[in-house]
Amino acid sequence: MGKLAQLVLHPLELRAAIQFKFFKQSLHPRQPTNERETLKHCYELLALTSRSFCTVILELNPELRNAIMIFYLVLRALDTVEDDMTIKPDIKIPLLRSFDEKLNLKSWSFDGNSPDEKDRQVLVDFTDVLEEYHRLKPVYQDVIKDITHKMGNGMADYITDEEFNLNGVATVKDYDLYCHYVAGLVGEGLTHLIVEAGFGDPKLEDNMQLSESMGLFLQKTNIIRDYREDLDDGRSFWPKEIWSKYADSLSDFSKRENYEKGLDCISELVLNTMDHIKDVLVYLSSVYDFSSYNFCVIPQVMAIATLATVFRNEKVFETNVKIRKGTTCYLILKARTFEGACEIFSYYLRQIHHSCPITDANYIKIGIKCGELEQFLESLNPAPHVPPGATIPQTPHFVKAERKRKLDRELVPTLAIESLKCDVFLSLVALGFLGVIYSISS
Amino acid sequence: MSQFNSVLLVGGAGFLGSHLVQQFRTNKPDVEIHVFDIRPFPEKLAKYFTFDPKEITFHQGDLTSAEDVSKAIKDSKCQVVVHSASPVHGLGKDIYEKVNVLGTQTLLQVSKELNIKAFVYTSSAGVIFDGSDVYNANETWPIPKVAMDGYNETKAAGEDMVLKANDPKNGFLTIALRPAGIIGPGDRQVVPGLRQVARTGQSKFQLGDNNNLFDWTYVGNVADAHVLAAEKLLSADTRDAVSGQAFFITNDAPAYFWTLARAVWKADGHIPAKTVVLPRPVAIVAGYLSQTVAGLLGKEAGLTAFRAKVVTATRYHDITKAKTLLGYKPQVDIETGIKYTLEWLNEVV
Repeated sequence: MGKLAQLVLHPLELRAAIQFKFFKQSLHPRQPTNERETLKHCYELLALTSRSFCTVILELNPELRNAIMIFYLVLRALDTVEDDMTIKPDIKIPLLRSFDEKLNLKSWSFDGNSPDEKDRQVLVDFTDVLEEYHRLKPVYQDVIKDITHKMGNGMADYITDEEFNLNGVATVKDYDLYCHYVAGLVGEGLTHLIVEAGFGDPKLEDNMQLSESMGLFLQKTNIIRDYREDLDDGRSFWPKEIWSKYADSLSDFSKRENYEKGLDCISELVLNTMDHIKDVLVYLSSVYDFSSYNFCVIPQVMAIATLATVFRNEKVFETNVKIRKGTTCYLILKARTFEGACEIFSYYLRQIHHSCPITDANYIKIGIKCGELEQFLESLNPAPHVPPGATIPQTPHFVKAERKRKLDRELVPTLAIESLKCDVFLSLVALGFLGVIYSISS
Repeated sequence: MSQFNSVLLVGGAGFLGSHLVQQFRTNKPDVEIHVFDIRPFPEKLAKYFTFDPKEITFHQGDLTSAEDVSKAIKDSKCQVVVHSASPVHGLGKDIYEKVNVLGTQTLLQVSKELNIKAFVYTSSAGVIFDGSDVYNANETWPIPKVAMDGYNETKAAGEDMVLKANDPKNGFLTIALRPAGIIGPGDRQVVPGLRQVARTGQSKFQLGDNNNLFDWTYVGNVADAHVLAAEKLLSADTRDAVSGQAFFITNDAPAYFWTLARAVWKADGHIPAKTVVLPRPVAIVAGYLSQTVAGLLGKEAGLTAFRAKVVTATRYHDITKAKTLLGYKPQVDIETGIKYTLEWLNEVV
C-alpha cells in the first residue's frame, strides 16, 4: 500500500503528518551559518549516517547538541569498524580495544574500510570529529571516552567469542548483557550527559538500572522485529533459553507450519521486554529539559508501538515489520508531554492485551503483566480516579511524575497554538475543496 | 518463639478457615490451634492440606451466643482470636446481619472481657465498593454511604466495630484484613461458578470490554496475612503502627476480569471457540430482563443486573500498606492458585 493511501485511511495520522511537517515548533533552531567549517562538516556526516537521529539531535538544546552529535559520530565510527567484515581481526580487534585512545589525538583517520561500507566517511574524516570533540566541555569528553572504551572492548569480546558467533545468545542473562553492550551503554552515556548539563534528576546517576532499561527496551524490541533480517544475514540474537521452549532450531519459525510456536515464542520475548517499561517511565519523568526529554521519549514510544505491532504478528517471520510513518508523526507530537507518553504506553499495552488469544502459551502471564503496568501507570497519575476523602500516596515515582507534569504545563500554550494553526489550515483546505466542488457543480 | 501459645480460629471449619489452620500450623508450629464453628470440622480433608486434624481442638457453637463463645475462649486459653466467620455471598440480609454484625459484636465483647490480646478480623475488599469503579484503591478510600449489597454493608459495619474496639491502653488490639476475590482449594463460588458457566456453554459471552482490572487472591496468601497480622499486633515494635487499622490483601497482580476467567477455562481444558462481546449497558439490561423472566418462571437467573455490574466494574487495590506494615508478600501466584483450585475441584467432584 502506498504511503499516501495509508495516510488517507488513517485521518488522525494524516493530520499528525501535516502538523508535524508544517507546524511543529522547533524548541532550539540551529544556526548553521555561524558555525565553524569542522562543525558544519560533522553535522553533514550526521545527516549522511542517520536520518532519524539527525532530526532529533538537531532539535536538542544547544548545551548538549554538539556533545550528543559527537557522541553519536564516535559510536558510529566504532560500529563501522566492527561491522566491516573485510577488516582483518588482527587490525580490527586492537583498533576496537584502543578506540577511546584515538580520542586523545588531535588528528587521526582510518581508511581501511571497504569502499562499500556506507558510513566509512566518518572514519575518513575523523580528524574533524576530533577537532569538535576537543572543543566540548571536558566532562562531556570524559563521558564519551568512557563509553567508547567500554563499548569498544565489549565489541572486541563478542567478536572473539566463538560460542556466541557460532550459536548466538544462549541465556536470558547473556541476552541482557549483549543488549547492555549495544544499547545499555549508550543510555548510560546519555544519562551522564543529561545530568552533567543539569537537564535531569541527578539521582538518575545513582540508579543506572533505569537508563539500562531505556536501552534494553529499545534493543530487545528491535531484536524481536529483526528476526527475519538477522536470519537472512546469518545472525541471531533471540536467546536460546527462550526460543528452545518452542523450537529445536531458531530458523524453524520461518516455516509456516511453525508459525504458531513462533508466535508463542514472540509472546514470551515481548513479556521479557515489557519488564523494562516501569523503569522507562520513571526515567522519562526524571528528564526535565524538554529537548532532552524528546530525544529520550521518541525512540521509546516508537518501541512500544513496534512491540505491539510485532506481538502475535506472523509477518515477523517473513519480513521487517515497521510502524507507519503517520503513526510516528502522531507519536512524536503526542509524546511531547509526559502525560501524552503515558497515554501512548497505556494504549499499546491494551492493544497487546486484546490481541492475545486464549491459546497463546503465555496468555495469563501477558494479562497479568499488562495489568501490572496499567496499575503502575495509574499510580503515576491517580488524580482522575481518586474519590473525595481519599489521599494519594506520595511515592517517589508519583512525586517525580507530578513534578514532570507541572513542568509540562509550560508547553501547553505552544502546543495549543501549534494545533490550532494546523486545524485552521485544514479547515481552509476543506473550505477551498468545497468551493471547488461548488463551482464545478454550479 | 511465638508471642502467643494459643489461637482461636472462629469460622475455622470454612473455606478460608481451613487454610488459616494450615498456615498457622505451618508458620507457628508451637501454637495450639482451636477452631470454633457452627458446622462440624470436615471429617475428610482434601489432599492439599498437610496438617493433622487430631492436633486441632474443635469447639462447636454459635457465634451469636455469648455463652458458646465465652466457653470456647476459656477452654482454649487463647491470646489471639481470628474472626473469619462469614456466610457466603448471595444470601438474605438477615443472615448477614446476624453473623457479620451481631456475631462480630458478641465475639468482640466477650474477647475484651476475657482479656484477649489480639483480635484479627476478616473483612472484605467489597466494603469500599458501591458499584462504581475502584482504581488502585488504598485504605484511605472512604466506605460508601450506600453499600453494593447486604453482604458488603454488614461486613463494613463489622469492620467498623472491630477497628473502634481497638484499645491499646487496656491491651486489646484489633486489626481488619480486606481480602479481594478469594480462590483456592475449598472455593465454592468463583472457580466453580466459572466452571458452571463453561459447562452451560456461556463462556463465549464477554460482558463489557475486558479492560476492567480485577483482583483475585489465593486463599493461602490471605491466611498468611492473618498469621502476620497476629504477629505484628503482638510485637511491641509493630503494634502501634498496625492496630486499629484496615489492610487490603490481594495477590498484588490485578488482571482483566475475562482474562482471569479464560485462564481458569483454559487450565480446565476448555477453550471457548469464539467471543461475543456484550457492551456493559447491554449486559446490565440483559441482566434485568433475565432476572425478571426467571422470576416469573420461578427459576434462578444465570445473569442478573447485579452480576453484570460486578463483572464489568474495575476493581483493584494498592496493597503497599500490607506489604510495608505487615511484611505481607503473596507466596502463591495466581496461575498456581488456579491450578490448585482446579486440582482440588477435580478431587472432590
